[in-house]
Amino acid sequence: MSLKINPVFVEKVLTRFICDELAKFGFRKGILGLSGGLDSSVCAALAARALGPRNVLGLIMPYGDAFAAEVRDAEKVGRILGIGTRTIDIAPQVDAYFAAHPTRNRVLRGNKMARERMSILYDYSAREKALILGTSNKTELLIGYGTIHGDMASGINPMGDLYKTQVRELGRHLAIPASIIRKAPTAGLWSGQTDEQEIGLSYGELDRILENIVEKRKSGPELAKAGFKPGTVRRVMEMIRNSEFKRKLPPIAKLSPRSVGHDFLYPYDWGR
Amino acid sequence: MKIALAQIAPRLGDVGRNLELHLEVMARARREKADLVVFPELSLTGYTLKDLAGDVALDPATDPRFGKITARSRGLSVVVGFMEESAAEQGLFYNSAAFIADGKILHVHRKVFLPTNGMFEEAKFYAQGRDFRVFPTPFGKVGLMICRDFLHYGASYVLYAGGADMIIVISAAPGRGVAGGEAFETSRMWELMGEAVSYFSTAFFAYANRVGIEDGVSFAGGSFIYGPGGHLLARAAYLDSEFLVRRLDLTAVREARTRWLFKRDEKPDIILRSLERVVRVAED
Repeated sequence: MSLKINPVFVEKVLTRFICDELAKFGFRKGILGLSGGLDSSVCAALAARALGPRNVLGLIMPYGDAFAAEVRDAEKVGRILGIGTRTIDIAPQVDAYFAAHPTRNRVLRGNKMARERMSILYDYSAREKALILGTSNKTELLIGYGTIHGDMASGINPMGDLYKTQVRELGRHLAIPASIIRKAPTAGLWSGQTDEQEIGLSYGELDRILENIVEKRKSGPELAKAGFKPGTVRRVMEMIRNSEFKRKLPPIAKLSPRSVGHDFLYPYDWGR
Repeated sequence: MKIALAQIAPRLGDVGRNLELHLEVMARARREKADLVVFPELSLTGYTLKDLAGDVALDPATDPRFGKITARSRGLSVVVGFMEESAAEQGLFYNSAAFIADGKILHVHRKVFLPTNGMFEEAKFYAQGRDFRVFPTPFGKVGLMICRDFLHYGASYVLYAGGADMIIVISAAPGRGVAGGEAFETSRMWELMGEAVSYFSTAFFAYANRVGIEDGVSFAGGSFIYGPGGHLLARAAYLDSEFLVRRLDLTAVREARTRWLFKRDEKPDIILRSLERVVRVAED
């Protein structure tokens, strides 16, 4: 099973990545949103090991009292890791907007909340001179299970090449509390939501399908032959295709011989 | 003789800074009485250059920065990786390696096999070298390859058939695969192939890889040296910078070739004829 990882080595690579990338861009501190869930806890643990706990700030950004248990978990992670935390209630700014533009659509409300959290993170990034650490994993990047310009926005993304099940394994190695590793993952778009319910698949099954499609380059028929339900495989492939826009910068209409994104091609770490 | 592998992390696109690093490492090599110091692929420029290639390319014969390395190689041999643009071929950028000894450039190898697939984009930006050859050095005949060159095993064969006593591969190999032990899974491939070539060629085999991270990609490190016939002489750390120095007993080549007679019994003429037929048939 190639979803297996050596978490000791993965920790080595990712802590070096965090240190290196921050140093290149002149940062000593990292900042991230702490939700009390697995991904942000693992990212915070990596950052604490890479930069030292005092150089990591976790922002806990609940909507009112709707996520009290999550806030307690986030605070617990912050305490265990010894990193700084700060709790900011996003209800006033979210409510102000929806008072003027009412909706009962939970997805609209959830996306708005994700983007409010993003705007607070970027503001605090500038205030604290801290680079934003993304917490998106490979599973959600591939199926597009994230809010564009919301939780998908970051300065660097240490965990974007780890499937959810691999993040869980890394979490165990990093001594993330078992209660956090075990609890049902949620995007926190509304209270009581769980990812697996919304996606309609367990992360275990989803990751096995993604592994076959992405790592092994298997086709739909090959997956069906291997025993995966064709309808499920089709749905996963559609999720991947339909979310490509979330993984790219928007296309630029080409006019000149040398255009940004087309033939003006420089490395991200240019001169660093 | 003493060989040193400089497992460094160059700064991407900053020749000035990297030149300083090279001169520092060369001074250290001198202090540690090394005779030869080997830098990794594109050590003067960093690897992920894309459109920076033209900005950092230089002519080793005339560039004053490169001249500093050449000038400070008195009593020392140096293998350095750089982006080459010669006066004779303006606008063509080669991923090159120079062997410099005692103030003179003995040989420049231009990378022949430019990986251009998936994460690799070399042929999109660089011109392709067209030759593998051995050249005499103070330590016997040496053959140079750059990273992917080595993964095409005909290249090693040409250097072996040409009489190489030492095969040097400089590399900027990104690590991939984290299911295994204390290194990227791809490191194992280089080690296995290096060991195998040290048997096939009964020559010394030195692999200088870089470390550091560019655009999220970690270079794997783990530079190593094999003596003729599969003797692991040294291996550097994975992921971290290191300056690896080892004494080589050059008589080991003779010793290996009197024990394993592959070199004596080699038939490059038959190989060539057979290859020519293979190429002809493929073209038909």
